[in-house]
Amino acid sequence: MKLELLHQPDSAVAKVLLDPQEEILAEAGAMVAMSSSIDVSTTLRKGKGGGVLGGLKRMVAGESLFISVFRSGGSAAELYLSPTLMGDILPYTLSGTELVIQSTSYLASTPGVQIDLGFTGFKSLFSGESLFWLTANGSGLALLNAFGSVYEIDVDGEYVVDTGHIVAFERTLDYSISKANKSWAGAFFSGEGFVCHFKGKGKVFCQTHNPGSFGRMVGGKLPPR
Amino acid sequence: MKYDIRYKPAFATIFLTLQPGEQIFAEAGAMASMSGKVAMDTGFFGGLIPGLLKAFLGGESLFLNEFTNKTQSPQEIVLTQSSMGDIVQTQLNGGSLCLQPGAYIAHTKGIKVDLQWAGFASWFSGEGLFKLKLSGNGMIFFGAYGGLSEKNVTDSFVVDSGHLVAYEPGIKLNVGLSGSMMGSLTSGEGFVNKLEGSGKIYLQSRSMGGLVKFLKPKL
Repeated sequence: MKLELLHQPDSAVAKVLLDPQEEILAEAGAMVAMSSSIDVSTTLRKGKGGGVLGGLKRMVAGESLFISVFRSGGSAAELYLSPTLMGDILPYTLSGTELVIQSTSYLASTPGVQIDLGFTGFKSLFSGESLFWLTANGSGLALLNAFGSVYEIDVDGEYVVDTGHIVAFERTLDYSISKANKSWAGAFFSGEGFVCHFKGKGKVFCQTHNPGSFGRMVGGKLPPR
Repeated sequence: MKYDIRYKPAFATIFLTLQPGEQIFAEAGAMASMSGKVAMDTGFFGGLIPGLLKAFLGGESLFLNEFTNKTQSPQEIVLTQSSMGDIVQTQLNGGSLCLQPGAYIAHTKGIKVDLQWAGFASWFSGEGLFKLKLSGNGMIFFGAYGGLSEKNVTDSFVVDSGHLVAYEPGIKLNVGLSGSMMGSLTSGEGFVNKLEGSGKIYLQSRSMGGLVKFLKPKL
């Protein structure tokens, strides 16, 4: 498999060259174009556990992910993948370290990477924001997308990221969700809401822009449907 | 204070280094990430009453966050804006600059923020009832939706509504039609700002109003 990233950073698109009988997984809807010989199947990933009710709850909360599997046939094939919003694509190579990915930042991954839903590390605290988290394990390549550009922070000590700016982070880091402010009033009014406190050593990938606040800015000016 | 504006012009983002004791004030929600040792406090924008006025009539946040480095070593903070586009830093040395609603991002100590009545004509043309006037000695950061162009106005100049980002107080804003009533309606330019006086202005290459107008019929 060969990967080429084009039109970075504002309109990044991933050009994937598959060898014969190779596979890549991608978020459903990410495919822009592909060779007609590619075979596509779509699976629905849901979080583990919780039985029927838990499953329903996750569906209501939007916590499911349709993943398309693109498989080349007997010949090499080509595939173009892109996210919805303007911004960059970040390739991340997994080799043993677990990566936690903000769900809308997941674009694609190679078959050796296991994508799981239902990382509940701090789910319940993201009130009002429909964020959920995926975990990626194993070895291979994961493609992540950002709203805006991506900057990488090599945390060594303590670092704070607004939850709307997190693309992904390595599980070697300790993380906790807290108010951005000491006081509740401050946290409520500061506009920062909840932030993620990272501790220890590891990488955090941040996006320069917050999709939620852009959405609120534009959405607030639109008439109700 | 050291700063670097990266990812210009589409995704401009401010990477600041606060030296021990240094402080930066920023619009609510502007902080993307920061070192865990930076202290954050929340206050009212320009005092309680102007803050209230601004929130209810000016359409902007009532609150302003204050970030302070209380440690003995330099600390980093990353600030950004909601819209995509460029960000500019200017240094005020006793002068002032007026900002249109939504443009403000951050300022350093020594800058005074005032909320000024812009008038109904300004509101009518979509520019907001209030404007921010920043004055004093220090740095200010403001942003745009799209690219930012700087221009010196010497006598008079016309700017489409929604494209003016900032202007020096030597410039007076009047709202008018771009041509005759009928011409304005059909040309798509509608209301425009008629600037008079001399000073520097900043223009943005796109307007949020334009994006909203484009999206509205598609909902």
